[in-house]
Amino acid sequence: MTGARSRKPAGKPVADPQSLSEAVAAARPRLSRLRLPGGTPVEAVCAAFLLLLVLLALFVDFIPGLASPNFPYGDFSQPPDLTLNGILGTDAIGRSILSRVLYGARTSISIVFFATLISLGFGLLFGMVAGFYRGSVERAVDLYANTMASLPPILVILALVASTGSSVFTITVALGILDIGTYARVAKGGVISQSNRDYILAARAMGASDARLLLKEILPNLVPALTAIVPTLMAGLIITEGSLSFLGYGIPAPAPSWGGMIASSTDLLSRYPLLIFGPVLAIVITVYALNTVGDYFARRLSSRERQG
Amino acid sequence: MSQNKMPAAGPLKADPVLEVRGLSVTFTRSGKEFRAVDNVFFSVEAGETLGLVGESGSGKTTIGRALLRLLTSAGTSIDGQVLYRGRDLSALSRAEMRKLRGRLQMIFQDPVSSFNPRRKVEDIVAEGLDIQGFPKAERAERIEAALAAVGFNRALVAGRRPHQFSGGQCQRIAIARALAVEPDLIVCDEPVASLDVSVQAHIINLLQDIRADRKLGLIFISHDLAVVKNVSDKVAVLYMGKIVEVGTGAQIYDRPAHPYTRTLLEAVPVVDASRKLVPERERSLKPSRMRPPSGCAFRTRCPRASDKCAEREPLLSPAPGGQLVACHHPHDEPAPGLKAAAA
Repeated sequence: MTGARSRKPAGKPVADPQSLSEAVAAARPRLSRLRLPGGTPVEAVCAAFLLLLVLLALFVDFIPGLASPNFPYGDFSQPPDLTLNGILGTDAIGRSILSRVLYGARTSISIVFFATLISLGFGLLFGMVAGFYRGSVERAVDLYANTMASLPPILVILALVASTGSSVFTITVALGILDIGTYARVAKGGVISQSNRDYILAARAMGASDARLLLKEILPNLVPALTAIVPTLMAGLIITEGSLSFLGYGIPAPAPSWGGMIASSTDLLSRYPLLIFGPVLAIVITVYALNTVGDYFARRLSSRERQG
Repeated sequence: MSQNKMPAAGPLKADPVLEVRGLSVTFTRSGKEFRAVDNVFFSVEAGETLGLVGESGSGKTTIGRALLRLLTSAGTSIDGQVLYRGRDLSALSRAEMRKLRGRLQMIFQDPVSSFNPRRKVEDIVAEGLDIQGFPKAERAERIEAALAAVGFNRALVAGRRPHQFSGGQCQRIAIARALAVEPDLIVCDEPVASLDVSVQAHIINLLQDIRADRKLGLIFISHDLAVVKNVSDKVAVLYMGKIVEVGTGAQIYDRPAHPYTRTLLEAVPVVDASRKLVPERERSLKPSRMRPPSGCAFRTRCPRASDKCAEREPLLSPAPGGQLVACHHPHDEPAPGLKAAAA
């Protein structure tokens, strides 16, 4: 209370508690929580790139003058020129590579987004229950997470997709299953470390139900740790999805996808080497940006923990 | 005015807020049994403070948590009865217990870790009201009153988070949170151990005032005899999960009968070195809790131990000072200098 009082503006005498509290409120910095501190310029550029990519993927239909990704718009295998559609060249049947990269971004982003929703949802559910109740639930979740972690992800995906047939839906679900174990482990560890704190005991002493403890007390405290791993795992999904398309088990043919484009341009790599750059750059930059943003969150998390 | 309203001293007082009969807590970890609390009896009246003292590992905190049924059920068995106004808490269903939780509250040693780091102070104080389902209109009033009781103005804490307050201020917020649900009993688990000495006095006085104003029962858990002496009407000394001596503050501090109580009092630091009590002799290390000694648990460290102590466990029986003591060879002389040392 003394601390709060000393913060009021010195020259302004306050008589009643009402104006005192107003003075205190005025002296308090309000927007300090909204700043994103401690980011490097590279991290800012990466975050901006990801934002731009999402916007492009959402609104690619409205880009004026952009050719259709599915029909030829000019000569085949043209090197890059300075027109909008030709800036990354044209592919083996004359489609605009830029257009295909952008529409491919839509496919990749939506697959990665929904796969992450699946793995985050189930991972949190299993992980939190395992961390809270321990016992046999925990052993089952550990077994699942360890098994998934010990299998090569591409094999798991191939097995799943090969057995169900490849479509956007099955690929999304298969990629979603891949990371459930990882999210479950992070959630479990977080719940275990939070459960030992007195605030959980205090909430229990107030009569909080298990559901309330998990959702209202513990879950908000898991958000920082999850924010740090989500971008990194998303980057892994982009690579896996690309590899899957490259191997021919990805998004079925006419639809544009980054991995599929790389696969088809490898056939002509010796004659038209420039044409592989578009999809490769798209994957490399996106994955790099996701990892950088993930590192940024991880660093902020650890510095916040050091502050207490 | 308050003089004649004070309840009569003595064991025969009607209607305690909380009564504990034969409470035992046993933890089982990887096949080994560990008896943290062993057949403990006590009661707390409205407006009364019971001090629970003992060294670390004596079961103080376990008792506090067992009272409020806060121990995790896996590997833990709790025997005996905990009666809140005559109702056995262990016989209640989970839902009934949840409703009752507002009546029994707890204050923790480290206030900061007892707050959800993502909450604002008002939300922390409001939490119990939210959980207990108080109507919105009543909540504001109660938050206001609870904060006022600990010397805060709601407008002053509005929008702030616990880390913006000092340790003592946080402990006051913790007290406000407990008060908001208007409990009958608060278990204070080492509430001042993490605070500066000057702030300790403030928090203790605050707790005492609140207890008197609201006719609260307090259970005050501490390893610090000086602190317990200042707050408690009754003091129970715990050793290895058992109550070894119980009586009024004056009885325990003026004429400690159990050798362990004396040991604790000797350990209280004294500023004046000439008044320091010299231990009767060097004592051995504390025995393992996994394999407690036969008979009296304290005998391996006790300067007065005899063969009888190894054969038979002493039971609580009246001591010369008027308190109850579990010892075959209790001290019956007053302890000169102890009073000064503990003060």
